Amino acid sequence: MAVSAVHLESDAFLVCMNHALSTEKEEVMGLCIGEVDTNRIVHIHSVIILRGSDKRKDRVEISPEQLSSAATEADYRLADMTGRPMRVVGWYHSHPHITVWPSHVDVRTQAMYQMMDQGFVGLIFSCFIEDKNTKTGRVLYTCFQSVQAQKGSEYERIEIPIHVVPHEAIGKVCLESAVELPRILCQEEQDTYRKIHSLTHLDPITKIHNGSVFTKNLCSQMSAVSGSLLQWLEDCLEQNRKSIIELQLEKERLTQELATM
Amino acid sequence: MAASISGYTFSSVCYHSANSNSDHEGFLLGEVRQEETVSISDTQISSAELLQVVEVHNHEPCAQLFSFYDYAGKVNDENLNRILKDRHKNVIGWYRFRRNTQQQMSFREQIIHKQLTQLLGVPDLVFLLFSFISTANNSTHALEYVLFRPNRSRYNQRVTLHIPNLGTTSQQEYKVSSVPNTSLNYAKVIKEHGAEFFDKDGVMKDIRTIFQVYGALQDRVQAVCGEVEQNERVKEKFQEEVNKLKQQIALRKQKSAEEERRLQEAQNPEQRPTPEENSEPLETSLLSRVVFHTPSTPERLGPSANPPSYADLLSLQDDSLLPSLSSPTSAALLPRPQAVGSPGHPSPSPLGLNPSPAPSPSMPYLGNGDGSSSDSLDRQAAGQEDDDEEEEEDDDDDSSEYENLVSEVAQLPPVTASVLAQGRPAALSPDGDASVLGSQTS
Repeated sequence: MAVSAVHLESDAFLVCMNHALSTEKEEVMGLCIGEVDTNRIVHIHSVIILRGSDKRKDRVEISPEQLSSAATEADYRLADMTGRPMRVVGWYHSHPHITVWPSHVDVRTQAMYQMMDQGFVGLIFSCFIEDKNTKTGRVLYTCFQSVQAQKGSEYERIEIPIHVVPHEAIGKVCLESAVELPRILCQEEQDTYRKIHSLTHLDPITKIHNGSVFTKNLCSQMSAVSGSLLQWLEDCLEQNRKSIIELQLEKERLTQELATM
Repeated sequence: MAASISGYTFSSVCYHSANSNSDHEGFLLGEVRQEETVSISDTQISSAELLQVVEVHNHEPCAQLFSFYDYAGKVNDENLNRILKDRHKNVIGWYRFRRNTQQQMSFREQIIHKQLTQLLGVPDLVFLLFSFISTANNSTHALEYVLFRPNRSRYNQRVTLHIPNLGTTSQQEYKVSSVPNTSLNYAKVIKEHGAEFFDKDGVMKDIRTIFQVYGALQDRVQAVCGEVEQNERVKEKFQEEVNKLKQQIALRKQKSAEEERRLQEAQNPEQRPTPEENSEPLETSLLSRVVFHTPSTPERLGPSANPPSYADLLSLQDDSLLPSLSSPTSAALLPRPQAVGSPGHPSPSPLGLNPSPAPSPSMPYLGNGDGSSSDSLDRQAAGQEDDDEEEEEDDDDDSSEYENLVSEVAQLPPVTASVLAQGRPAALSPDGDASVLGSQTS
């Protein structure tokens, strides 16, 4: 088998969760950037949030252009920062309100990616699940690859162990990926509006209506995403300030202890 | 009662929990509002219902367990204030993350909750419980969360936790065609007065304005992000220095322990080591390891260290327990559940799970993820939470290695065994047995 396990750094995991929890109405997706070691373990160091190329709720497919530009980004920007060659090693997408297992389309899509890279892995985050009886909410995540079934030409899923590896601080690349989300959402909205705006046969009232829809959608994005994002960033600052003070104290204490030994 | 938490706060709790190799806990900050809903029914003109809305704005993670309470569950007011400082008044609840345990408040959590309710002066303090569970081959993991209102009556204690999100920003709301209308009056009026909305380029003024707001917001997000990034690097550097110092101290302790042992052996060269004597230095080093590791920040691999390979893992567990216990630094090489996974190939699992690929889920306890009740599933994990380093079971496929650990422990003097037995992670096996593993202090 090409992949023995996947180690997902916790800050990359954080960005995936942020992205998956950003909307319950459609599936979101992104690419995983990292490296594969000699033990065939895939290490995912960061993720890139992607725009949905197919607005259908139940399908996620990455266009060749997206894949190529992500690969370029992985090569230059990310490798530059970490000092090691990084590449696209997998993809992730979300399953809001649905089971975490990949659909037949997902398994086929994964098989396609595996044709160009045997070690390509797929991650799925299932969220917004609630058990009404016990009022329990659930978030699940799984990792899989595809193999050809014995009979016929259908593909089947195989399970790959995945572990979230502790990463004490949030990496620069992950932070930058996280703040890309509002920009991507705004870009999508602008593109849709531009197409509508170019329709010349609309009367002024309809144009005002459409403009208001754009305004409304942008407001929704700002309050649901940008605002929450800012709040979280500020909380990080606050928590870090405290941690740094505590770490400084501990460092002094340990230095003293070492000196007395 | 309704409750909500932002997706970013939720992810942040998951992130801090993933970084800790034991239970994780912290406080929930936010506000509680009363919302009035007026309804009209046939019997009453208007009935106002008061709905309490709990909004979690952010969380305050505790760096380690037992930071504001002791082993008896007594809350220390001083420590509590030190952790919360001026955010005291914003506390609306607290949370706990544990692995492989039942979704019920433990006894200690209940008594802590009562004390917190009094000390913080929040009559309806809430408790958010996160429990983490995985399949035997570690390919699928579930994080379950329940919000409790323990200060209410025995019934209705659970509250649905809502995560607000983008939801319905539907782009289907754009109109691609106008309602057909040939009225000249209509066309004239809307053209004349509608022109107010557009600037000379034919772009709606509102759009330009809202775009400016968005631009300013995004710029601010970038700026704060830059600050956070710098902060994280500073924190990382301090963490590395602290880790290095701890390693140095551990090395010194190890060296002095070895020197002591050599001195003792040099003084008594005639005596053959008996089992009791042999275990003496073991006991001290074991105890010192235990003391070293609890309850301070758990030792962890530095960011540059790679998790041990699967080959290393298996060879470590094959060796006898004794050598690996004598040096605290080799403790870093013992398997850490998050960092190490089981081999990818389906292994003969004694737990009876079907590892072969199948479109239908092979985990009995997750059902089909569409909200079906988990009560029907066999979750007989013992409700014991382990407040020391509770670890996910690793290498589930070969539970016999854990039996070896237990038998090794049994040979040691009773004092040591009881120290180790303080925390016993409960193992979840889908076939219903709650097998108790020998505690593995790493």
